[in-house]
Amino acid sequence: MTDRTLDMALPAANSRPSAAARALAALRRLPAPALFGGAVVLFWVIAALTVQYWGLPEPLQIAGKRLQAPSLSHWLGTDALGRDVLSRTLHGAVFSVPVAIGVVAAGVAIGAALGAIAGYVGGVVDGLIMRLVDVTVAFPPILLAMTVAAILGPGLVNAAFAMVIVWWPIYARLMRAQVLEVREREHVEAAVAGGAGHTRVLCVHILPLCWTPILVNATMDFGQVVLLAASLSFIGLGASPPTPEWGSMISEGASRFYNWWVAFGPGMAILTLVLGFSFLGDGLRDLLDPRSS
Amino acid sequence: MAYDVLARPLRLMGSTALALTLAASLATSLSSAASAQEKDTLVIARSMDVNALDPARAFCDTCQIVLTSIYDPLTTLAPDNKTIVPRLAKSWEANENQTVFTFHIDPTAVFADGSPVEGKDVKWSFERLKNMKGNPSFFMDGVKSIEVTDPKTVVITLDASNSEFLNKLSAGFTGVINSDVAIAQGATADADADKTDKAEAWFLTHSAGSGPFALSAYRPDDELRLTRNEAYWGKKPAFSEVVFRQTKDSVAQAQMLESGAADIAMQIDMDTAGSLASPQVKTEIIPSYNFLYIALGAGAKSNTVPLTPDVRKAIALAIDYEGMIDFTVGGKGKKQSTAIPNGFSGTEGLPERKENLAEAKELLKKAGVPDGFEIEAVYPNDNIYGVDINLMMQKVQQDLARIGVKVSLKPSTYPVWRTQVNGDGIPLTAVYYAPDYYGTGQYADYFAMMPGTSWSKRAGAANNPAIINSKEAPLLAKALASAGADQEKAFHELALEMMADNIIIPMVSPDLVLAHRADIEGVRYSACCNLPVAEISRKK
Repeated sequence: MTDRTLDMALPAANSRPSAAARALAALRRLPAPALFGGAVVLFWVIAALTVQYWGLPEPLQIAGKRLQAPSLSHWLGTDALGRDVLSRTLHGAVFSVPVAIGVVAAGVAIGAALGAIAGYVGGVVDGLIMRLVDVTVAFPPILLAMTVAAILGPGLVNAAFAMVIVWWPIYARLMRAQVLEVREREHVEAAVAGGAGHTRVLCVHILPLCWTPILVNATMDFGQVVLLAASLSFIGLGASPPTPEWGSMISEGASRFYNWWVAFGPGMAILTLVLGFSFLGDGLRDLLDPRSS
Repeated sequence: MAYDVLARPLRLMGSTALALTLAASLATSLSSAASAQEKDTLVIARSMDVNALDPARAFCDTCQIVLTSIYDPLTTLAPDNKTIVPRLAKSWEANENQTVFTFHIDPTAVFADGSPVEGKDVKWSFERLKNMKGNPSFFMDGVKSIEVTDPKTVVITLDASNSEFLNKLSAGFTGVINSDVAIAQGATADADADKTDKAEAWFLTHSAGSGPFALSAYRPDDELRLTRNEAYWGKKPAFSEVVFRQTKDSVAQAQMLESGAADIAMQIDMDTAGSLASPQVKTEIIPSYNFLYIALGAGAKSNTVPLTPDVRKAIALAIDYEGMIDFTVGGKGKKQSTAIPNGFSGTEGLPERKENLAEAKELLKKAGVPDGFEIEAVYPNDNIYGVDINLMMQKVQQDLARIGVKVSLKPSTYPVWRTQVNGDGIPLTAVYYAPDYYGTGQYADYFAMMPGTSWSKRAGAANNPAIINSKEAPLLAKALASAGADQEKAFHELALEMMADNIIIPMVSPDLVLAHRADIEGVRYSACCNLPVAEISRKK
């Protein structure tokens, strides 16, 4: 099945278009919502990388009178300290986007490595790793993340660490299932018969065929990580003030119901980024992993 | 959470809904709104911090209201918030040096079960309060003996002069309990009461007082119900029932008030109060005796730079006090010079705290840290008296950055904060305080840099004995041994010393929003009793 997925991504045999052309062709096959999601995600990534050059008011400095409603000079108003909410919201991407990427990347790295070992080696090792996965998954994710973050103390790095602990088991399960399936194929048997070592068999003959579901899942998970990071900050276990982190900004706004704009900016930021990742993940799944659609 | 077993639509819906929920502010829980109340019931929307309802164990702002409604103390505070007037004690005498107090209990006073209030009940209640060794036990500090000379007369002897002793006895925690009833429920006043008393749970659902109300039900995180004491010996309250409905945040309280689901709300912050539009709601903004302060832990283990008197003064001079009031309570608050509320004895004519960046920088230079330093701020992440402490500390952070002092903010939960501040100490912290009775002594006992006070310990007197101010203890003794102008003068000198310590630096004394439905009368704020519920009525 996975081979077929790869085939779909391969170009026609006779001509070999450039990488750019292939990427464009793949893009064209993405459904419209996925393209929209991709655009939103791209916006936030660009914002995270370049927002300091946009000429916005300093996110930590007082920019005007406190609690001003949205106006032309402050598009999303000002918060209780008089800081520009739009600037703080856009600067929030500097924290949320890298945290999302970092947590998912670390989760994939740890989970995929352990899952691959469990699936390939089997036996006691498999049992041990998978029981650890079962135990971790048994806890509600937010509860586990809260516990870890509370033990480590508040802070964005600690929150990210807590989220990695919550996240890796998903990828371990996925990877193990893939490896178990691919391990039984003829080409692997042929490689083993040909005298290839375990490392070579795993890395060259098995792993390259296992990545697709992980990739799809990871794209979906970016959004969930953004949401969990915001939740941790909302309850005071994530970013510490005055960091313009979305969750803590919403927490500041939550007690000011009548000044709705304080929470509106970061709320919309989370909404768009999470939706963006979800749409993109869905599209990628349709494209790369047709059997699960 | 994106586990692979979840179906795609569910995931999308889940993430969208979660994001929306976050955006729509998780904290507003409006579900508890009830329909308009019957005429005979008073509903108070309140975030209840009840830790116990036993006068010898309780210690919270809500307890002040509830306990003074159920248990009559010997004295109470007049509406001027200064004069002590009789309650259970019809009259009293004190000897000249304020060490022996004789109280005559009102002969008409009876408990809710009809039995008369007697000296033995007073003695039993006070001894139990002392022997319970709990949070409010300090009310009995300095009490040497309690004698019952006849069923209606009690003589209390103190170790040292205390001209504020009568004020102390107006606090709800010193309320008199019906000893016969409580003993039958396992209560004891013995010296080992802290270990042998078994009545804590009983007091959570029952009461045994002589006050205008009796406790009829308490369900934590839901409601607390008082019913009128039909046997009350004083002026009967207008309402037959008072319900405190647990309502966590300011906005929810405001909405309950606007919808008519609550008659009174006392924890509405200034910004929300400004948004109340209904003509059915009346808001009064009055000065309070509450305050929020920052405190410098000169003996804290994690200090990077010694917090010498010069450094502490520099920090005090770097705060923009006017701006602080504007940012924390929208300008609806007062400056306060030292850790004694405005209006309390000794505070009149205190110099105002003022910002002076040039002098602050000069002082840092003198202290050898011209470029400033880094300091860690751990504080409870609470919203109290309408002030978001997190916000207040962000303002402190900005202000101190102007003299190069870089503050790293570490909001924490109250229990974690308490462990740290009483353990290794915290270089810079922020907390709050509300009075338990009208009297300056309580502030000296808690905040002054005298050996053994809570804040001298927290500020690290054990590591840094230099913070002890030897002038303060004699001034307090002098103040408590005198009265009138002499007392005022001694307290004033003490206040100046406490101000110069610069360990406790008040940020703001927030005004209090008293918001109630337009048909409610008699709502007022009291320094002893918080909200005297028995005085409230509904217009006919």
